[in-house]
Amino acid sequence: MAANGHQSNSPYVTLVSSDGLEFVVLREATSVSPTIRGMLRGQMIEARTGRCEFPEISGVILEKVVEYFHYWYKNQDKKDVPDMDIPVELCLQILDAADYLGLDSKPPLRQLKEGS
Amino acid sequence: MSRQDRLARRIMGPQSALTDFLASHNISANQIRIDADARRRAALESQAANATANGQHDELSTAPVTVAPAASASPAQSTRGRRAAVVATADTPNERRKKEKQVIDKIKASKQIQKKKRRIDDSDDEDLARAIFEERSAPLPGQMENCANCGKRFTVTAYSRNAPDGGLLCSPCGKELSKEDGAPKKKPKRISSGPVGRRRQLQSDILDGTYAPGAKSLMTLCIETLAKNIDLAEDISDLPSTVVDKIARKLSKQRLMNPKTLDLFLLPSAEQVYIYDGAKLSADDFIRIFQTVPAIKKLKIRNAIHFKDQVMDYLISRHIELEEIYLAGANLLSEQKWKEFLQKKGQSLKSLRVYWTDKHFGNETLDELGTACPSLERLKVSHNQEVTGDGVKELAKLKSLRHLSLDLRNQVHPDIYVNLLREIGPSLETFSVARMPDIDNTVLDALHNSCRSLQKLRVTDSEVMTDEGFVRLFEGWENKGLVFVDLQKCRQLESAKPRENPHNIGLCSNGFRTLMAHSQRTIEQLNVHGCRHISAQAFEDVFAPDKIYPELRKLEISFCEEVNDFVVGSIFRSCPRLRELNVFGCMKVRDVKVPWGKLLIGVPNALGMVIEGNEDD
Repeated sequence: MAANGHQSNSPYVTLVSSDGLEFVVLREATSVSPTIRGMLRGQMIEARTGRCEFPEISGVILEKVVEYFHYWYKNQDKKDVPDMDIPVELCLQILDAADYLGLDSKPPLRQLKEGS
Repeated sequence: MSRQDRLARRIMGPQSALTDFLASHNISANQIRIDADARRRAALESQAANATANGQHDELSTAPVTVAPAASASPAQSTRGRRAAVVATADTPNERRKKEKQVIDKIKASKQIQKKKRRIDDSDDEDLARAIFEERSAPLPGQMENCANCGKRFTVTAYSRNAPDGGLLCSPCGKELSKEDGAPKKKPKRISSGPVGRRRQLQSDILDGTYAPGAKSLMTLCIETLAKNIDLAEDISDLPSTVVDKIARKLSKQRLMNPKTLDLFLLPSAEQVYIYDGAKLSADDFIRIFQTVPAIKKLKIRNAIHFKDQVMDYLISRHIELEEIYLAGANLLSEQKWKEFLQKKGQSLKSLRVYWTDKHFGNETLDELGTACPSLERLKVSHNQEVTGDGVKELAKLKSLRHLSLDLRNQVHPDIYVNLLREIGPSLETFSVARMPDIDNTVLDALHNSCRSLQKLRVTDSEVMTDEGFVRLFEGWENKGLVFVDLQKCRQLESAKPRENPHNIGLCSNGFRTLMAHSQRTIEQLNVHGCRHISAQAFEDVFAPDKIYPELRKLEISFCEEVNDFVVGSIFRSCPRLRELNVFGCMKVRDVKVPWGKLLIGVPNALGMVIEGNEDD
């Protein structure tokens, strides 16, 4: 699948890390991050192409973040969710990325659902 | 037993209660001693006899169950015999092995092994036979035996462990053995209790207010991982201050804040240092805060046990202009130092919060505030044993004060609050007086007359305020709507006739109605815990279908007896943003359907809490 070709109506978006690695992620799964939500809205280039570049986040970290997106998406309606494993050595960098992407508190799920 | 005998026994001395008790159950200490002596004697004799005689081992082969050679009537003798056999065979290991082999061969041919083999098919004949042999030769619970390891004599119980090379172990040796191979044995057990542990954790989260359905946020996951491995972290100064604060909270919760981890949180450029658990920090550590963070403006330390005079001296000697200081549990700080601090550094102080002090934060310090702190906006004195009415009187001088919270142990006369409210009431945004049984309607009237910008109101445990007083306060009050109201335990205390309340003492139906009508648009948190005389009708009126409380998030109506399923349902309907509803002790709440994402805590059933959905989805 050509990662660049996603239109704004595609259910997938492409996230690009600082070292050029591309991750194709379900659009709804990325909506947990207010930052990405903002990028994909309105008239931004990202919104038109469905391609978000993160020059601050390396591939290793972005991979973990993408893993979290899927983990969150899969578990958003569940209770008693097992914790995702965070590798200790990457912890601080993931923390930085989480802060940048606004993944600090829980998004109000229902509002999200109503909005999307 | 003759009368004389009994008398004679009495003369022997006082009896303990235990002896009396045992005697009443036909147990005599004397008899036990005599038996034990006899057993010991018999053991010695037979030991001597068996050391020479080997012929008994023939019996070992024929009767493996009772390995004891001289199997006689008394159990004491049978254990003695077994012990003797062990002692004797130990001398001639070759022969012992031979006999053992004979017995094992016999077991191998028996039916028992066939039965066992059907159950366990992967084990070897030899092993199985040996296991049966050892099982048979082991003494029964309740008998005496010598430890195979240390040789000490002990009573065999059902829990006595087998030694690796035959025989039984006494309990200290058994413990040693289980320590060696115990770890792998215990682990699977813990896994099996997993679901229960998780459920318990879930309930605990709900009570902590940290529960939310769905996955945890990535930041929470990272912070938890970090807190687990904090000794590996070297520097977290790159992180944003909100994240650093969250890490500090998490660490303190796990009591990991110590001189070593403190360094992580002392960023030279920071303006605030919040330490949520300073119990492990020494006075030098506190001084180090001021050394490494010279630009500090806000300081918060809980459990600041070692925040002593010398720390305050250092703070006073530096060019540090604190705006906010929050100290909990700083009991070693003298009143003299507090005054000195306020005189020297009070000019810039905007917020002063002092918790848990017994004797060293009193009226003189409060008096000092009036002159030394012209810009003080927030004052909280909580769990204080020293401040009295005289000190509270002095607060009238604090014209800039906007938030006042007092939780004092000494009773303060209501007139003092009335005067205080007349002086500083108009600018107050927070008025919180906890645990004041004497505070009466005059204070409510003073609030009504003076306060115009109040947002947070707390008056708790009053035993004399009346419903009428609350109605007068809220009816036609020119103050705009309140955001936070806590009137818990404002109720009549009458143990003889608890349900009758002829004078309408406490917050009752009408007071509750006027309160909710006054603050309908703004109220976010309401606590009417224990206001028992609010009627079901009042609840139904307040949470009627046409009434909406758009901002209400947290409602505490525990121990309001009249609350029932219908009221709870109405509350969920009327409060769209409600997150948490506490109904401890509301025995009429039975079975309510809880809407999605809301918490109902304290339902009087085994479950305790109800959250949306059930366990299985």
